[in-house]
Amino acid sequence: MLELNDVSHVYANGTRALDHVSLTIARGMYGLLGPNGAGKSTLMRAVATLQTPTEGRIRFGDIDAVADPGRLRRTLGYLPQDFGVYPRVSAYEMLDHLAVLKGLASAADRKATVETLLQQTNLWPVRKKALTAFSGGMRQRFGIAQALIGNPELIIVDEPTAGLDPEERNRFLNLLAEIGENVVVILSTHIVDDVADLCPRMAVLAGGRIQLEGAPIDLIRATRGRIWMKAIDRAELERYRSEYELISTRLFAGRTLVHILSGTDPGNGFEPVEGGLEDVYFSTLAQSRRAA
Amino acid sequence: MLARIAAFEFRYLLKNPLLWMAAAIVFLLPFASLAFGIGFEEDVRVYKNSPYEVISKYMIISCMFMFATTVFVSNIVLRDDETGFGPILRSTGISKFDYLFGRFLGALAIVALCLALVSPGIWLGSLMPGVDPATIGPNRIGDHLYAYFLIGLPNVLITASVFFALATVSRSMMGTYLGLLAFLGLYFSLLSAIGWRAEIVQSFGIAEPFTNRAFDDATRYWTTPERNTLLPEFSGTLLYNRLLWIGISILFLAAAYFGFDFAEKGGSRRRRRKEKIAAAAEDVAASASPPILPTPRHGGRAAWALLALRTRFEVKQVVRSPAFIILMLYAASLVWVGVIMEWQPENRPSYPLTVTLIPELESIFFILPLIIVIIYTGELVWRERDRRMHEIVDAAPHPNWAYVVPKTAAVALVLFSMFLVSVAVAVALQLYLGFAGIELGTYFLWFLLPMTWDAMLAAALAVFVQTLSPHKFAGWGIMMLYVAAKFTGIVPEHNLLNYAGHPPVTYSDMDGVTSFREGPWVFRLYWGAFALLLLVAAHLLWRRGAEVGIRARLKLARARFRGAPRVVAGGALLTFAASGAYAFYNTNVLNRYETAESGEAWPAEFEKRYIKYHGLPQPSVSHVKLDVALYPSERRAEVKGAYLLRNLENRPIADVHLLLLDRDLKLVAAAVGGGRLAFEDRKYGYRIFRLDRPMAPGETRLMTFETRRWHRGFANGEPNTRIADNGTFLSNDELLPVVGMPGPPMVVSAAARQEYGLPPRPWPPKLEDLSGTKNPVGGNSWTTADITLSTTAGQMPIAPGRKVSDVTRGGRRIARFVSDAPIRSRFAVQSARYAERRRRYGDVDLAVYYHPAHAWNVDLMLEMLGASLAYYESNFGPYQFDQARVIEFPGYKYNYAQAFANTIPSSESYLFTADLRAADKFNHVAATIAHEIAHQYWAHQLTPAEMQGAMLLVESLAQYSAMMVMKSMHGGDQMRRPLQEQLDHYLAGRAWEKMEETPLIRVGHQRYLMYNKGALALYLLQERLGEAAVNRALRSLLEKHRFKGAPYARSLDLVAALRAEAKTADDQRLITDLFERITLYDLKALEPAVRKRADGRWDVTLTVEAKKYYADAQGNEKPAPLSEPIEIGLFTAEPGSGAFDRRHVVLMRRQPIRSGRQILKLVADRRPSHAGVDPYNFYIDRNSADNLVPVPPDGS
Repeated sequence: MLELNDVSHVYANGTRALDHVSLTIARGMYGLLGPNGAGKSTLMRAVATLQTPTEGRIRFGDIDAVADPGRLRRTLGYLPQDFGVYPRVSAYEMLDHLAVLKGLASAADRKATVETLLQQTNLWPVRKKALTAFSGGMRQRFGIAQALIGNPELIIVDEPTAGLDPEERNRFLNLLAEIGENVVVILSTHIVDDVADLCPRMAVLAGGRIQLEGAPIDLIRATRGRIWMKAIDRAELERYRSEYELISTRLFAGRTLVHILSGTDPGNGFEPVEGGLEDVYFSTLAQSRRAA
Repeated sequence: MLARIAAFEFRYLLKNPLLWMAAAIVFLLPFASLAFGIGFEEDVRVYKNSPYEVISKYMIISCMFMFATTVFVSNIVLRDDETGFGPILRSTGISKFDYLFGRFLGALAIVALCLALVSPGIWLGSLMPGVDPATIGPNRIGDHLYAYFLIGLPNVLITASVFFALATVSRSMMGTYLGLLAFLGLYFSLLSAIGWRAEIVQSFGIAEPFTNRAFDDATRYWTTPERNTLLPEFSGTLLYNRLLWIGISILFLAAAYFGFDFAEKGGSRRRRRKEKIAAAAEDVAASASPPILPTPRHGGRAAWALLALRTRFEVKQVVRSPAFIILMLYAASLVWVGVIMEWQPENRPSYPLTVTLIPELESIFFILPLIIVIIYTGELVWRERDRRMHEIVDAAPHPNWAYVVPKTAAVALVLFSMFLVSVAVAVALQLYLGFAGIELGTYFLWFLLPMTWDAMLAAALAVFVQTLSPHKFAGWGIMMLYVAAKFTGIVPEHNLLNYAGHPPVTYSDMDGVTSFREGPWVFRLYWGAFALLLLVAAHLLWRRGAEVGIRARLKLARARFRGAPRVVAGGALLTFAASGAYAFYNTNVLNRYETAESGEAWPAEFEKRYIKYHGLPQPSVSHVKLDVALYPSERRAEVKGAYLLRNLENRPIADVHLLLLDRDLKLVAAAVGGGRLAFEDRKYGYRIFRLDRPMAPGETRLMTFETRRWHRGFANGEPNTRIADNGTFLSNDELLPVVGMPGPPMVVSAAARQEYGLPPRPWPPKLEDLSGTKNPVGGNSWTTADITLSTTAGQMPIAPGRKVSDVTRGGRRIARFVSDAPIRSRFAVQSARYAERRRRYGDVDLAVYYHPAHAWNVDLMLEMLGASLAYYESNFGPYQFDQARVIEFPGYKYNYAQAFANTIPSSESYLFTADLRAADKFNHVAATIAHEIAHQYWAHQLTPAEMQGAMLLVESLAQYSAMMVMKSMHGGDQMRRPLQEQLDHYLAGRAWEKMEETPLIRVGHQRYLMYNKGALALYLLQERLGEAAVNRALRSLLEKHRFKGAPYARSLDLVAALRAEAKTADDQRLITDLFERITLYDLKALEPAVRKRADGRWDVTLTVEAKKYYADAQGNEKPAPLSEPIEIGLFTAEPGSGAFDRRHVVLMRRQPIRSGRQILKLVADRRPSHAGVDPYNFYIDRNSADNLVPVPPDGS
């Protein structure tokens, strides 16, 4: 059980990246949705002990992550949003080295770990190749492999599917789902489908605050009957934006599909649609923007 | 397009803070030199804005500027790779040429403009108030244009092109820096290796990129007035140099153009490989079952594994990088080139003993390891961040020391590898040079271990600095300041305060490098403990995750400071304190702690208090009886002695002054018969005994004394190596008290005298000051001696005189030496485990005492002892002793030989380990033996008065005598090379004269006069007057003064004796020119032509240009009419070249030569290949090479 209690973080330049965030995250996959710059990565880093929050408490089980980051790191698996690799180091060597860092002292343990993970992430055939020669997807798989070393109790993955092709993404999410059955997995992303597919619970972070928290199914249910859609010309978009509470626009077959939020039938050619998580997300963002 | 890109680059660089820093330095260096007198070349007598200085400043600054240039020009392409902006830019349709050269021109323009700030620096500096007008000449625009456009700007273009090409082709900053490092290392080692050798100067002047050498060649013999007014002619070497290097620059630019891949960085090969790998990865189907993995354990065993594996990983990272391989190759080549160049006979190399090579290696790696440590540490500490891997790695649970220790170890390993490679190369060199005495243990203990240790100290500091610094470059900057401080010596003088400081280590093969090892290692332990504290701090403060603010890290550090870090820090602190206290006890309690400042204050105060007693009538020591007990392993000497004092003055003496000239010597007891101590200054070691009844003229008194010399522990500075385990060498001042205050100033430098309020003390006294003839030079009058010297059994004690007994008793070897013939009260005692080789020359016992492993040159020494005595006895008179000995002493910092009465101590490196296998017969060992034996006459039979010109009777005559021994052995036709060597030393010496050049009769301390000009003058004289005539003059001088007391001989006595042998007005004028004036000749042979005659002989015509000048003390020259008989020669080989000897002389005869141009017609029996005027360089001629010309083929 991960508990964030009133966590705030203000950077040296005055940017308030987190603003009194409180969350309780139980075992299983937890989705953290938010646009770029919402404070997701700051939150992830704070939980991953890479950043001491200026305020608030982070506890994982009986571990106080702020006071004793070392202890939390022993049960932590972290895949940062963006990472590079050392030159001239193969996938095998790098995993082996990270296993050392994670406390796998015996060579046999490390061998078992590294080989299992390489198989698991499909990197076995390229285990001897330099990481610098990996494609984005392979590198990402390497990233997840390293996050799994040492049976972490808390896994944090920040934007893991960026740059993956659909097939890779699928495989990756499957793997995460399997693991997520036993431990806490926080998945931070701006791709709604990742959360929709995987996470029994989620939160939307924007402007450093939790805008929404709950189970996707409940959240979607709550929007039923309030989402309306219409295909319009691009030229009309501005008018619709001013007249309706626009959630999202999307191009489809040369026309612009607009989704609006409305408690009643807006008429004017709008049709009701079954809202998806995406509508939940965008409507939340739209509201938070208005509030700001 | 090109212009617009250049303009953009120009504006872009204007925003670079580094540019402004560089600009400030370029301006301030010359400005400070002129305005405040701080900076380079300040003690040279030329005007600080003279053409010589303007050019020098442009040259030096344009060289130093290469660091900034490298950054600017490498940035041109690398910044696009770094920012990833490259593809966008390159897709704009800009051409490769415009892209590269537009930017290059922009950068070059900035750099060129920046460099031009030297001129305003000099110009404004010269106008500043408070500038000493004597140091400033007129500002002349032409000097600046010359220096900027012909020297400075091309220099900058060269480095800019080279490093631009390197960066552009390698596309790597590290590669470029390594290139810079390699360039500098190679450049400097070549420069120092080539030294000042005249023969290869010409071609090197062209090849050396920055015109340092070409400029030096052009101005080598320039005197001050010339340096103040002249610009070197822009032709010959200088011109070719510039043409060559501008050409090379263009080649590099072309290479940059063609070597630059305008497409994606890294080329297509890597991309193709990437695709292949990706395809391979997709082949296997996914398995998506949750993994079952081992669980980590944390604790003691895991910590060790972590340390070992992390270290291995860091090391692997370093070792696998191409930079490492290049670095190793570079170190290897540096050592090879640096050492092999030293092994030219002209450099007087030693046999490649391990202890000779270690200092060579140390000097090669004087500053380089520090720079490597700094670069590598920066790279390693910041690597996780630079590679954007830090978030993954920092989130792992390992403690911070798992970063700090392995990274430090990796840096240490890089350095260790470099040193190991250097040792391997050094050993290979030893074998290559045919020397099999390889001492791997010595290399390990005295090079590998200390150098690696010191590198680790530097690494710990660099790790600490980089941990705290907000950016890698800031860390590098701080560390470069540290290097600059070390390099320029602006660091605390006490090693307890100077990070990684320790007393200097000197080496001796003879002593086995064992006597003085304690001090350096105590300090290494002390600083090692401190370095450990730095590492603990780095561990506590390590930058982890996104936590970069120092305040946040300090907070975390406090929480981390418990358990092991606390224990380690405590242990380190204890060691630091204990070793520091022990070091302090040694440096400041057992030994005298002395700064450069306080070291000067002591003699200043001594002089202030007691110089007034100089000239007071004092008795002379007429007999010395000594019992000297040496305890080499304790580094202690105990002396019990007695002086028989005689009043040689013509009035009674009431007070006897007794003083110590060596601060390490303690007077334990002293008494004078019939006298009592009336004054005692223990601090400055000065005592006055009042005699109850004054000594009447001629009366004698006995003085007894005891002294002690004991070097305990280690000092902060250089160890005193006079007493060593194996090889003690102590001279009288280091063992005995002195009677009567000597006259020379105790503080020599004029600036220091002023600082301590000492009035100027011109020394030696003027030639005309006849009161000076009372004092023998050096203050050592004639005496006899009876010296008992005891030392530890197993060592051989040696003192001057006849050995009358030699016994070993109770673990002591005791020998007694008696000198019946008068010796000067200046002598030395020695003791070591010697081997001995003897030979007889008539009644004289010749002996060489040497370290058994150093037998190489012993036979040559014995041969030269005999040959020298043979020449001197037949030409100057009888040798006064029954023995002549050459005795080795440990090298350490000493590299000389010295003549005492019948003993010639020589440091091991000077004569004994000298490698003469490639040397010619005029080698310095042979020459030195002849010179020192000559001093048995010229110093030990004839002692001159302590006044101007004294050295003409000592060093010049000894040098001349040695030349004559050589001539008698090898023939006069072989002498061109030794003469040219003397000439070169004289001309170079006078060019750097800071006070004033005097004629020979007034020579003071100038070595270039007493040794080199003296030898040339006397040698020319024996050519003109005849050898027999000159030697007759010397013999008559000697007979008049042999063993005589006051009045002592003057230089004028020599000149008078020579004049007595000069028969013609020409010869008399020559003596005037040589001894009483500063005379320079300019003799030049040109346009030789030969034609075969009907009788089978050859008509030769030769044009000779001749000039003569008289120079004043400052070097201003005035033409003088020349009309002298000078040698004309025709040869079938070039005189002075390897094979040249008498058989190659076709014709050699003296012919009247006058000022100006003259055509000479000669007839030769054989067809000459070379013709010349003064072909053997008897005359002082600033261009000695043009005295000879090769003869072209017939008919021309």
